[in-house]
Amino acid sequence: MLFRRIYQFLIVYCIGVVGLLTVKYAAGLSNYVIPGLAVIFDTAHRMLGSYFFDVLNTLSVTVLGQMISIFMAFFVGIIGRKSSWAGSFIKVMAYNIQAYPIVALAPIIFILLGDGFLSRLLIASMICYFPLLLSVLGIMASPIKDIEHFYIATGRMRWQLEVKIRAFENLNKLTTVISGSATLAMAGTIVAEFIAADQGIGYSIRIALYQSDLACILVALFSIGIIISVYQGILETVGEQMKTKWFAPKGEYLL
Amino acid sequence: MKYANNPQNYCNVHLPSLEKNMHFECRGMTFTYPEADKPVLENLNFSMAAPGFNAVFGPSGVGKTSFARILAGGSSGPGGNALIYEGISTILYSYNQERLPGWSSTGTHLEKVCPPKNSDLKKELVKIFKLESLLGSRFSQLSMGQQNRMNLIRYLIQDFDLLILDESLANVDEALRETIILAIKEIFPAKLFLYISHNLMEVARFCKDILVLSHPGKNKGAVVVQGQNYKTGYTSDPQAIDRSMLEIMNAV
Repeated sequence: MLFRRIYQFLIVYCIGVVGLLTVKYAAGLSNYVIPGLAVIFDTAHRMLGSYFFDVLNTLSVTVLGQMISIFMAFFVGIIGRKSSWAGSFIKVMAYNIQAYPIVALAPIIFILLGDGFLSRLLIASMICYFPLLLSVLGIMASPIKDIEHFYIATGRMRWQLEVKIRAFENLNKLTTVISGSATLAMAGTIVAEFIAADQGIGYSIRIALYQSDLACILVALFSIGIIISVYQGILETVGEQMKTKWFAPKGEYLL
Repeated sequence: MKYANNPQNYCNVHLPSLEKNMHFECRGMTFTYPEADKPVLENLNFSMAAPGFNAVFGPSGVGKTSFARILAGGSSGPGGNALIYEGISTILYSYNQERLPGWSSTGTHLEKVCPPKNSDLKKELVKIFKLESLLGSRFSQLSMGQQNRMNLIRYLIQDFDLLILDESLANVDEALRETIILAIKEIFPAKLFLYISHNLMEVARFCKDILVLSHPGKNKGAVVVQGQNYKTGYTSDPQAIDRSMLEIMNAV
């Protein structure tokens, strides 16, 4: 799982670089517009170490932001799963708010909170929160009737059991959504750093952009890709291990 | 059969002692699903008295499951205003596609839902239902027949007055089904069961009252036919069974 993610990224990255080089040589562009392989390797040699730590800095905010989002999504999703007025209100609100591009609110956050850690964290959380919330709400609001019936009929149903049944039955969906939301959280953090922060890989990309240094940007993208692949691979591996531990092999396996 | 010769085999089981005065009646029940053109049940009138192992029989799509679910909803549920219950306070409804959660073994789940007083009953039922060796397995690892048996045990160890078994013994082999039905009748003489099945022979042999449903519009309404109500150690009377089966088929 982990290695598959990494080599998939490497394939996509190489295709992208080859595409750029094709444009460069086809249109006869200078190294200033699209750098050649030698320049890219030279830049990688100089910058890869510092970019690696910048990405780790960004990743730390991403992970924290994602954890907050997951906690919030489950908290609100569990409250909103009921067909009571509060549940309906939460669902309608979530559907409407997620329709708005949250990243557009980033300037307001920077104006109010400045360009520090908190702003980056908030933007990262907000960007991956709503897609997570919609998935969790959808899962938590869908009864698993063939399992829940007995507990309801015998008066044993508690909210904790209901949530456990629904989460367990949708574990595949949940792990996919959580690992997918890592990309969103990373994008949110980079966008926040790109707009106004003073650290992280987004900030480094902004500097490279102002210097029109495409080689630096390509090296930064490489660092981001490798590290997010490893992070997502770890999340998926953990999800797989949970499934292996909880799910017993069954007849469908033979089909 | 082990218990056929010696009913005392159940001596360690909590047996409900005296039969309660039980009665339920249906007066002019008509039920139409929202958005549907025709009613699924039309002007149903019948009554069933005393505890026993009764059945609901009818061709596919006649409304057996709808009827069972209306019964399970009690007098306050949809369509329940036509129902009159006497001596029946707890109604449970089990059906054949139910599942147990998959995060732990079936034995653990049974343990968790078993009232302490019914612990011996649970052990006895597990033995009769031939599930002892499967208590360590997850529900998804069982065959369909095993799943249905495991699910039925969960219901039988609860406190209930009326238990509706909607194809709850589907996919169970015939010999074991007979063993299970006879054991249920013997262990729970004071309870009322409504067994929904498509097996005409089985219904005619083991059930006391058989409510036969026919499609609305046939003007047959609901007919209650007497089954042979065989109990443990029975002697089969083929002619009587044929008579019951014929009556049921005529009522459909």
